[in-house]
Amino acid sequence: IPESGHKYYLQFSTEDYRTGEDAGNCLATVLYPKKQSPPVVSIKCSHTKDQKEIQEEDNRIYQGIRHQSKPITGNNIPDSYGNIEPALEPVWALAVAGSSSIMWEKSTETLGYFLAQVKSVRQWIRKDDFTEFDYTVLLHEIPTQEILSCHMRLAWLPGHPLKVKHFCASPSHAVEEGSGAESGSAAGPAAEKGALL
Amino acid sequence: TFTFSQISQPSNKPKKIIWVDCGIHAREWISPAFCQWFVKEILQNYKTDPKISRFLQNLDLYVLPVLNIDGYIYSWEKDRLWRKSRSPYENGTCHGADLNRNFNSSWGSVGVSFNCSSDVFCGSGPESEPETRAVAQFIRSKKSDILCYLTIHSYGQLILTPYGSTTKPPSNNEELMQVAKEAAAALTGKYGTSYKVGSTALILYSNSGSSRDWAHTIGIPLSYTFELRDTGTHGFVLPANQIQPTCEETM
Repeated sequence: IPESGHKYYLQFSTEDYRTGEDAGNCLATVLYPKKQSPPVVSIKCSHTKDQKEIQEEDNRIYQGIRHQSKPITGNNIPDSYGNIEPALEPVWALAVAGSSSIMWEKSTETLGYFLAQVKSVRQWIRKDDFTEFDYTVLLHEIPTQEILSCHMRLAWLPGHPLKVKHFCASPSHAVEEGSGAESGSAAGPAAEKGALL
Repeated sequence: TFTFSQISQPSNKPKKIIWVDCGIHAREWISPAFCQWFVKEILQNYKTDPKISRFLQNLDLYVLPVLNIDGYIYSWEKDRLWRKSRSPYENGTCHGADLNRNFNSSWGSVGVSFNCSSDVFCGSGPESEPETRAVAQFIRSKKSDILCYLTIHSYGQLILTPYGSTTKPPSNNEELMQVAKEAAAALTGKYGTSYKVGSTALILYSNSGSSRDWAHTIGIPLSYTFELRDTGTHGFVLPANQIQPTCEETM
Protein backbone atom coordinates (compact mmCIF):
# COMPACT_ATOMS: atom_id res chain seq x y z
CA ILE A 1 0.00 0.00 0.00
CA PRO A 2 1.86 3.07 -1.24
CA GLU A 3 3.10 5.35 1.54
CA SER A 4 1.65 2.99 4.15
CA GLY A 5 3.44 -0.35 4.12
CA HIS A 6 2.85 -3.92 3.04
CA LYS A 7 -0.42 -5.69 3.66
CA TYR A 8 -0.76 -9.45 3.39
CA TYR A 9 -3.96 -11.40 3.06
CA LEU A 10 -3.63 -14.95 4.35
CA GLN A 11 -5.71 -18.06 4.24
CA PHE A 12 -4.17 -21.07 5.92
CA SER A 13 -4.89 -24.36 7.59
CA THR A 14 -3.55 -25.38 10.98
CA GLU A 15 -2.54 -28.74 12.34
CA ASP A 16 -1.67 -30.26 15.67
CA TYR A 17 2.03 -29.65 16.26
CA ARG A 18 2.65 -33.15 17.48
CA THR A 19 0.27 -35.35 15.52
CA GLY A 20 -0.18 -33.37 12.33
CA GLU A 21 -3.95 -33.75 12.71
CA ASP A 22 -5.98 -31.03 11.03
CA ALA A 23 -6.90 -28.37 13.58
CA GLY A 24 -8.91 -25.86 11.58
CA ASN A 25 -8.56 -22.97 9.14
CA CYS A 26 -7.81 -19.29 9.54
CA LEU A 27 -8.25 -16.06 7.64
CA ALA A 28 -5.97 -13.19 8.51
CA THR A 29 -4.61 -9.87 7.38
CA VAL A 30 -1.18 -8.60 8.41
CA LEU A 31 -0.09 -5.03 7.84
CA TYR A 32 3.58 -4.15 8.17
CA PRO A 33 3.75 -0.37 8.50
CA LYS A 34 6.42 1.45 6.51
CA LYS A 35 8.09 2.59 9.70
CA GLN A 36 9.50 -0.28 11.76
CA SER A 37 6.84 -1.07 14.30
CA PRO A 38 4.94 -4.20 15.23
CA PRO A 39 2.55 -5.43 12.53
CA VAL A 40 -1.19 -4.94 12.77
CA VAL A 41 -2.93 -8.31 12.70
CA SER A 42 -6.53 -9.33 12.37
CA ILE A 43 -7.32 -13.01 12.45
CA LYS A 44 -10.27 -15.35 12.60
CA CYS A 45 -9.99 -19.12 12.96
CA SER A 46 -12.31 -22.08 12.96
CA HIS A 47 -11.31 -24.79 15.39
CA THR A 48 -12.01 -28.41 14.66
CA LYS A 49 -11.13 -29.63 18.13
CA ASP A 50 -13.80 -29.62 20.78
CA GLN A 51 -13.13 -27.13 23.62
CA LYS A 52 -14.07 -29.73 26.23
CA GLU A 53 -11.58 -32.21 24.75
CA ILE A 54 -8.83 -29.58 24.92
CA GLN A 55 -9.68 -28.77 28.54
CA GLU A 56 -9.56 -32.44 29.51
CA GLU A 57 -6.18 -32.92 27.83
CA ASP A 58 -4.81 -29.82 29.53
CA ASN A 59 -5.99 -31.05 32.90
CA ARG A 60 -4.44 -34.43 32.34
CA ILE A 61 -1.10 -32.85 31.51
CA TYR A 62 -1.40 -30.48 34.46
CA GLN A 63 -2.14 -33.26 36.93
CA GLY A 64 0.76 -35.26 35.54
CA ILE A 65 3.13 -32.39 36.27
CA ARG A 66 1.70 -31.69 39.73
CA HIS A 67 1.98 -35.29 40.83
CA GLN A 68 5.73 -35.55 40.23
CA SER A 69 7.58 -36.24 43.46
CA LYS A 70 10.41 -33.85 42.65
CA PRO A 71 10.87 -30.81 40.41
CA ILE A 72 11.11 -31.75 36.73
CA THR A 73 14.42 -31.15 34.99
CA GLY A 74 15.68 -32.09 31.55
CA ASN A 75 18.28 -31.43 28.86
CA ASN A 76 18.31 -31.63 25.08
CA ILE A 77 14.67 -32.16 24.24
CA PRO A 78 14.48 -33.70 21.66
CA ASP A 79 17.93 -35.26 21.97
CA SER A 80 20.38 -35.40 19.08
CA TYR A 81 18.52 -38.38 17.63
CA GLY A 82 15.12 -36.77 17.83
CA ASN A 83 13.89 -38.65 20.89
CA ILE A 84 11.68 -37.13 23.55
CA GLU A 85 11.21 -39.07 26.78
CA PRO A 86 7.47 -39.61 27.25
CA ALA A 87 7.70 -38.13 30.76
CA LEU A 88 9.10 -34.92 29.29
CA GLU A 89 6.59 -34.52 26.47
CA PRO A 90 4.32 -32.14 28.42
CA VAL A 91 7.32 -30.00 29.29
CA TRP A 92 8.30 -29.91 25.62
CA ALA A 93 4.74 -29.01 24.66
CA LEU A 94 4.80 -26.06 27.07
CA ALA A 95 8.13 -24.99 25.58
CA VAL A 96 6.60 -25.01 22.11
CA ALA A 97 3.72 -22.87 23.29
CA GLY A 98 5.96 -20.49 25.22
CA SER A 99 8.50 -20.18 22.41
CA SER A 100 5.74 -19.19 20.05
CA SER A 101 5.28 -16.05 22.09
CA ILE A 102 8.98 -15.28 21.73
CA MET A 103 8.72 -15.89 18.00
CA TRP A 104 5.67 -13.69 17.81
CA GLU A 105 7.61 -10.82 19.32
CA LYS A 106 10.76 -11.33 17.33
CA SER A 107 9.55 -12.15 13.85
CA THR A 108 9.44 -9.49 11.20
CA GLU A 109 8.41 -9.30 7.58
CA THR A 110 11.77 -10.93 6.72
CA LEU A 111 12.69 -12.99 9.77
CA GLY A 112 11.00 -16.15 10.96
CA TYR A 113 11.66 -18.83 13.56
CA PHE A 114 11.27 -22.46 14.48
CA LEU A 115 11.95 -24.15 17.80
CA ALA A 116 15.08 -26.22 17.17
CA GLN A 117 15.59 -27.75 20.60
CA VAL A 118 14.99 -27.27 24.31
CA LYS A 119 18.51 -27.09 25.70
CA SER A 120 17.47 -27.30 29.33
CA VAL A 121 14.45 -27.05 31.57
CA ARG A 122 14.01 -26.74 35.31
CA GLN A 123 10.78 -26.60 37.24
CA TRP A 124 10.29 -24.05 40.02
CA ILE A 125 7.75 -25.12 42.60
CA ARG A 126 5.25 -22.44 43.53
CA LYS A 127 2.95 -22.10 46.51
CA ASP A 128 -0.06 -21.38 44.31
CA ASP A 129 -1.60 -23.66 41.66
CA PHE A 130 0.53 -22.46 38.75
CA THR A 131 3.28 -24.65 37.35
CA GLU A 132 6.45 -22.71 36.54
CA PHE A 133 9.42 -23.63 34.37
CA ASP A 134 12.73 -22.10 33.49
CA TYR A 135 13.93 -22.93 29.99
CA THR A 136 16.84 -22.41 27.67
CA VAL A 137 15.41 -22.83 24.20
CA LEU A 138 17.22 -22.77 20.87
CA LEU A 139 15.43 -21.02 18.06
CA HIS A 140 16.32 -21.56 14.42
CA GLU A 141 16.19 -18.22 12.62
CA ILE A 142 15.29 -18.06 8.90
CA PRO A 143 16.80 -16.98 6.55
CA THR A 144 19.94 -16.13 8.53
CA GLN A 145 20.19 -19.78 9.63
CA GLU A 146 21.39 -18.65 13.03
CA ILE A 147 20.59 -20.52 16.20
CA LEU A 148 19.34 -18.16 18.87
CA SER A 149 19.61 -19.10 22.53
CA CYS A 150 16.77 -17.76 24.65
CA HIS A 151 16.13 -17.90 28.34
CA MET A 152 12.41 -18.37 28.92
CA ARG A 153 10.40 -18.27 32.11
CA LEU A 154 6.94 -19.72 31.82
CA ALA A 155 3.98 -20.11 34.18
CA TRP A 156 0.88 -22.16 33.39
CA LEU A 157 -2.47 -23.08 34.86
CA PRO A 158 -5.14 -24.68 32.66
CA GLY A 159 -7.82 -22.20 31.76
CA HIS A 160 -5.41 -19.24 32.03
CA PRO A 161 -3.30 -17.66 29.31
CA LEU A 162 0.33 -18.76 29.36
CA LYS A 163 2.61 -16.27 31.12
CA VAL A 164 5.95 -15.95 29.37
CA LYS A 165 9.03 -13.85 29.95
CA HIS A 166 12.15 -14.20 27.82
CA PHE A 167 15.61 -12.92 27.14
CA CYS A 168 17.50 -13.92 24.01
CA ALA A 169 21.25 -13.74 23.58
CA SER A 170 22.74 -12.57 20.30
CA PRO A 171 23.34 -15.42 17.80
CA SER A 172 25.14 -18.23 19.64
CA HIS A 173 28.05 -18.52 17.25
CA ALA A 174 28.91 -14.88 17.73
CA VAL A 175 29.42 -15.65 21.41
CA GLU A 176 32.13 -18.10 20.35
CA GLU A 177 34.23 -15.12 19.34
CA GLY A 178 34.78 -14.27 22.96
CA SER A 179 32.35 -11.49 23.59
CA GLY A 180 31.87 -13.09 26.98
CA ALA A 181 28.12 -12.92 27.11
CA GLU A 182 26.83 -15.75 29.28
CA SER A 183 23.19 -14.86 29.00
CA GLY A 184 22.14 -17.88 27.00
CA SER A 185 23.32 -20.38 29.60
CA ALA A 186 21.20 -22.59 31.81
CA ALA A 187 22.46 -20.85 34.92
CA GLY A 188 19.81 -20.39 37.58
CA PRO A 189 17.67 -17.30 37.23
CA ALA A 190 19.09 -15.73 40.34
CA ALA A 191 17.81 -12.24 39.74
CA GLU A 192 14.36 -13.34 38.75
CA LYS A 193 13.08 -15.45 41.60
CA GLY A 194 9.70 -15.24 43.20
CA ALA A 195 7.04 -12.96 41.89
CA LEU A 196 8.36 -12.69 38.36
CA LEU A 197 5.13 -13.70 36.77
CA THR B 1 40.44 -34.93 -2.07
CA PHE B 2 37.16 -36.62 -1.36
CA THR B 3 35.70 -40.08 -1.84
CA PHE B 4 32.43 -40.79 -3.53
CA SER B 5 30.62 -43.93 -4.56
CA GLN B 6 30.18 -44.71 -8.20
CA ILE B 7 27.52 -47.21 -9.09
CA SER B 8 27.72 -48.41 -12.68
CA GLN B 9 26.64 -51.40 -14.62
CA PRO B 10 29.56 -52.41 -16.79
CA SER B 11 28.89 -51.79 -20.45
CA ASN B 12 30.75 -50.60 -23.46
CA LYS B 13 28.49 -47.64 -24.13
CA PRO B 14 29.25 -44.36 -22.40
CA LYS B 15 26.58 -43.43 -19.91
CA LYS B 16 25.15 -40.23 -18.57
CA ILE B 17 25.61 -39.46 -14.88
CA ILE B 18 23.32 -38.58 -12.03
CA TRP B 19 25.15 -36.93 -9.14
CA VAL B 20 23.80 -36.93 -5.58
CA ASP B 21 25.53 -35.24 -2.67
CA CYS B 22 24.46 -35.22 0.95
CA GLY B 23 25.64 -33.48 4.08
CA ILE B 24 26.64 -30.03 2.84
CA HIS B 25 25.21 -28.72 6.12
CA ALA B 26 26.44 -30.52 9.20
CA ARG B 27 23.27 -30.52 11.34
CA GLU B 28 21.03 -31.98 8.62
CA TRP B 29 21.63 -35.55 9.70
CA ILE B 30 18.77 -37.07 7.72
CA SER B 31 20.71 -36.11 4.57
CA PRO B 32 23.80 -38.36 4.95
CA ALA B 33 21.41 -41.02 6.27
CA PHE B 34 19.55 -40.79 2.99
CA CYS B 35 22.66 -41.15 0.83
CA GLN B 36 23.68 -44.24 2.74
CA TRP B 37 20.19 -45.66 2.42
CA PHE B 38 20.07 -44.87 -1.27
CA VAL B 39 23.29 -46.73 -2.01
CA LYS B 40 22.22 -49.69 0.11
CA GLU B 41 18.84 -49.87 -1.57
CA ILE B 42 20.31 -49.81 -5.08
CA LEU B 43 22.95 -52.42 -4.28
CA GLN B 44 20.46 -54.72 -2.57
CA ASN B 45 17.88 -54.57 -5.30
CA TYR B 46 19.52 -53.90 -8.65
CA LYS B 47 19.20 -57.50 -9.76
CA THR B 48 15.61 -57.97 -8.70
CA ASP B 49 13.98 -54.56 -9.13
CA PRO B 50 13.22 -53.91 -12.82
CA LYS B 51 13.08 -50.12 -12.33
CA ILE B 52 16.52 -50.04 -10.79
CA SER B 53 18.12 -52.37 -13.31
CA ARG B 54 16.69 -50.40 -16.22
CA PHE B 55 17.94 -47.22 -14.63
CA LEU B 56 21.47 -48.61 -14.32
CA GLN B 57 21.51 -49.84 -17.90
CA ASN B 58 21.41 -46.25 -19.07
CA LEU B 59 22.81 -44.18 -16.24
CA ASP B 60 25.66 -44.12 -13.77
CA LEU B 61 25.12 -42.93 -10.23
CA TYR B 62 27.71 -40.88 -8.37
CA VAL B 63 26.92 -40.49 -4.66
CA LEU B 64 28.87 -38.34 -2.20
CA PRO B 65 27.49 -39.30 1.21
CA VAL B 66 28.98 -36.49 3.31
CA LEU B 67 30.34 -33.44 1.57
CA ASN B 68 31.04 -31.45 4.74
CA ILE B 69 32.84 -34.14 6.71
CA ASP B 70 34.52 -31.84 9.24
CA GLY B 71 31.26 -30.09 10.05
CA TYR B 72 29.38 -33.36 10.30
CA ILE B 73 31.84 -34.84 12.77
CA TYR B 74 31.70 -31.61 14.77
CA SER B 75 27.92 -31.87 14.95
CA TRP B 76 28.20 -35.37 16.42
CA GLU B 77 30.95 -34.54 18.89
CA LYS B 78 30.53 -30.93 19.91
CA ASP B 79 27.55 -28.97 18.64
CA ARG B 80 24.46 -30.74 17.30
CA LEU B 81 23.24 -27.61 15.52
CA TRP B 82 26.47 -26.68 13.70
CA ARG B 83 25.91 -25.92 10.01
CA LYS B 84 29.13 -24.82 8.33
CA SER B 85 32.50 -26.35 7.59
CA ARG B 86 35.32 -26.07 10.14
CA SER B 87 38.06 -24.19 8.35
CA PRO B 88 39.80 -21.69 10.61
CA TYR B 89 39.45 -17.98 9.99
CA GLU B 90 40.75 -14.90 11.76
CA ASN B 91 43.67 -16.65 13.36
CA GLY B 92 41.58 -19.57 14.56
CA THR B 93 39.12 -17.43 16.53
CA CYS B 94 36.31 -18.27 14.15
CA HIS B 95 35.49 -21.36 12.11
CA GLY B 96 33.68 -22.46 9.02
CA ALA B 97 32.01 -21.24 5.89
CA ASP B 98 28.53 -22.10 4.67
CA LEU B 99 29.50 -24.42 1.84
CA ASN B 100 26.18 -23.80 0.16
CA ARG B 101 27.02 -20.11 -0.19
CA ASN B 102 30.55 -20.76 -1.36
CA PHE B 103 29.99 -21.93 -4.94
CA ASN B 104 30.66 -19.70 -7.92
CA SER B 105 27.09 -18.69 -8.72
CA SER B 106 26.54 -14.96 -8.15
CA TRP B 107 28.80 -15.50 -5.14
CA GLY B 108 28.42 -13.02 -2.33
CA SER B 109 25.47 -11.16 -3.78
CA VAL B 110 22.45 -12.03 -1.62
CA GLY B 111 21.46 -14.03 1.44
CA VAL B 112 25.03 -14.21 2.74
CA SER B 113 27.29 -12.67 5.31
CA PHE B 114 30.93 -11.70 4.97
CA ASN B 115 31.34 -12.13 8.68
CA CYS B 116 32.87 -15.44 9.73
CA SER B 117 30.69 -15.68 12.83
CA SER B 118 27.55 -15.87 10.70
CA ASP B 119 25.96 -19.17 9.80
CA VAL B 120 25.73 -18.01 6.19
CA PHE B 121 29.31 -16.82 5.89
CA CYS B 122 30.12 -17.34 2.23
CA GLY B 123 33.87 -17.75 2.64
CA SER B 124 36.65 -15.44 1.46
CA GLY B 125 35.79 -15.92 -2.19
CA PRO B 126 33.99 -18.32 -4.53
CA GLU B 127 35.33 -21.85 -3.99
CA SER B 128 37.55 -20.62 -1.15
CA GLU B 129 36.76 -23.76 0.83
CA PRO B 130 38.61 -27.00 0.05
CA GLU B 131 35.39 -29.00 0.06
CA THR B 132 33.75 -26.72 -2.48
CA ARG B 133 36.83 -26.64 -4.64
CA ALA B 134 37.22 -30.41 -4.70
CA VAL B 135 33.60 -31.05 -5.65
CA ALA B 136 33.45 -28.23 -8.19
CA GLN B 137 36.62 -29.35 -9.93
CA PHE B 138 35.34 -32.88 -10.26
CA ILE B 139 31.88 -31.92 -11.48
CA ARG B 140 33.39 -29.45 -13.95
CA SER B 141 35.54 -32.22 -15.39
CA LYS B 142 32.49 -34.39 -15.98
CA LYS B 143 29.89 -31.77 -16.71
CA SER B 144 29.11 -32.74 -20.28
CA ASP B 145 28.05 -36.17 -19.06
CA ILE B 146 26.09 -35.12 -15.98
CA LEU B 147 22.39 -35.11 -16.64
CA CYS B 148 21.15 -34.35 -13.17
CA TYR B 149 22.62 -32.74 -10.07
CA LEU B 150 20.86 -33.49 -6.77
CA THR B 151 21.85 -32.05 -3.43
CA ILE B 152 20.10 -33.28 -0.29
CA HIS B 153 19.30 -31.06 2.71
CA SER B 154 16.75 -30.72 5.51
CA TYR B 155 14.29 -29.56 6.63
CA GLY B 156 11.25 -28.17 4.89
CA GLN B 157 9.85 -30.81 2.57
CA LEU B 158 10.66 -28.94 -0.60
CA ILE B 159 12.04 -29.66 -4.04
CA LEU B 160 13.85 -26.47 -5.04
CA THR B 161 14.75 -25.46 -8.56
CA PRO B 162 17.23 -22.77 -9.64
CA TYR B 163 17.76 -19.99 -8.85
CA GLY B 164 18.24 -18.66 -5.36
CA SER B 165 20.07 -15.53 -6.40
CA THR B 166 17.38 -14.19 -8.72
CA THR B 167 13.72 -14.71 -9.48
CA LYS B 168 14.46 -14.76 -13.20
CA PRO B 169 13.57 -18.31 -14.26
CA PRO B 170 16.18 -20.59 -15.79
CA SER B 171 15.96 -21.29 -19.51
CA ASN B 172 14.52 -24.78 -19.05
CA ASN B 173 12.18 -23.86 -16.23
CA GLU B 174 9.18 -25.72 -17.61
CA GLU B 175 11.08 -28.96 -17.81
CA LEU B 176 12.62 -28.45 -14.37
CA MET B 177 9.22 -27.85 -12.83
CA GLN B 178 7.53 -30.73 -14.56
CA VAL B 179 10.12 -33.27 -13.48
CA ALA B 180 10.08 -31.89 -9.95
CA LYS B 181 6.31 -32.06 -9.75
CA GLU B 182 6.32 -35.67 -10.84
CA ALA B 183 8.98 -36.43 -8.23
CA ALA B 184 6.93 -34.73 -5.51
CA ALA B 185 3.83 -36.66 -6.50
CA ALA B 186 5.68 -39.97 -6.40
CA LEU B 187 7.10 -39.04 -3.00
CA THR B 188 3.68 -38.15 -1.59
CA GLY B 189 2.29 -41.38 -3.00
CA LYS B 190 4.38 -43.40 -0.57
CA TYR B 191 3.33 -42.11 2.85
CA GLY B 192 1.30 -38.99 2.15
CA THR B 193 4.15 -36.63 2.99
CA SER B 194 3.57 -33.45 1.09
CA TYR B 195 6.36 -31.58 -0.65
CA LYS B 196 6.23 -28.16 -2.26
CA VAL B 197 7.99 -27.48 -5.55
CA GLY B 198 9.40 -24.25 -6.85
CA SER B 199 12.31 -21.92 -7.36
CA THR B 200 14.32 -21.18 -4.25
CA ALA B 201 14.00 -17.42 -4.53
CA LEU B 202 10.25 -17.69 -4.78
CA ILE B 203 9.28 -20.35 -2.23
CA LEU B 204 12.13 -20.19 0.25
CA TYR B 205 14.45 -17.22 0.38
CA SER B 206 17.10 -15.54 -1.72
CA ASN B 207 20.64 -16.79 -1.53
CA SER B 208 23.69 -16.85 -3.75
CA GLY B 209 26.56 -19.27 -4.09
CA SER B 210 24.49 -22.44 -3.83
CA SER B 211 25.72 -25.65 -5.40
CA ARG B 212 22.40 -26.17 -7.14
CA ASP B 213 22.53 -22.80 -8.90
CA TRP B 214 26.17 -23.33 -9.83
CA ALA B 215 25.52 -26.77 -11.31
CA HIS B 216 22.83 -25.33 -13.53
CA THR B 217 24.90 -22.37 -14.68
CA ILE B 218 27.71 -24.64 -15.87
CA GLY B 219 25.26 -26.50 -18.03
CA ILE B 220 23.76 -29.35 -16.00
CA PRO B 221 20.14 -29.24 -17.14
CA LEU B 222 18.38 -30.78 -14.15
CA SER B 223 19.57 -29.38 -10.84
CA TYR B 224 17.60 -29.70 -7.61
CA THR B 225 17.88 -29.16 -3.88
CA PHE B 226 15.82 -31.57 -1.82
CA GLU B 227 14.81 -30.39 1.63
CA LEU B 228 13.72 -33.57 3.42
CA ARG B 229 11.45 -34.02 6.47
CA ASP B 230 10.06 -32.38 8.48
CA THR B 231 8.44 -28.95 8.44
CA GLY B 232 9.71 -27.69 11.77
CA THR B 233 8.25 -29.83 14.55
CA HIS B 234 11.56 -31.63 15.01
CA GLY B 235 13.49 -29.72 12.39
CA PHE B 236 17.11 -30.82 12.40
CA VAL B 237 16.64 -33.39 15.18
CA LEU B 238 14.45 -35.75 13.24
CA PRO B 239 13.68 -38.89 15.24
CA ALA B 240 15.34 -42.12 14.20
CA ASN B 241 11.99 -43.75 13.55
CA GLN B 242 11.46 -41.32 10.71
CA ILE B 243 14.69 -42.17 8.94
CA GLN B 244 13.38 -45.23 7.16
CA PRO B 245 10.09 -43.74 5.92
CA THR B 246 11.86 -40.55 4.85
CA CYS B 247 14.40 -42.53 2.85
CA GLU B 248 11.80 -44.86 1.38
CA GLU B 249 9.57 -42.06 0.17
CA THR B 250 12.50 -40.05 -1.21
CA MET B 251 13.66 -43.10 -3.09
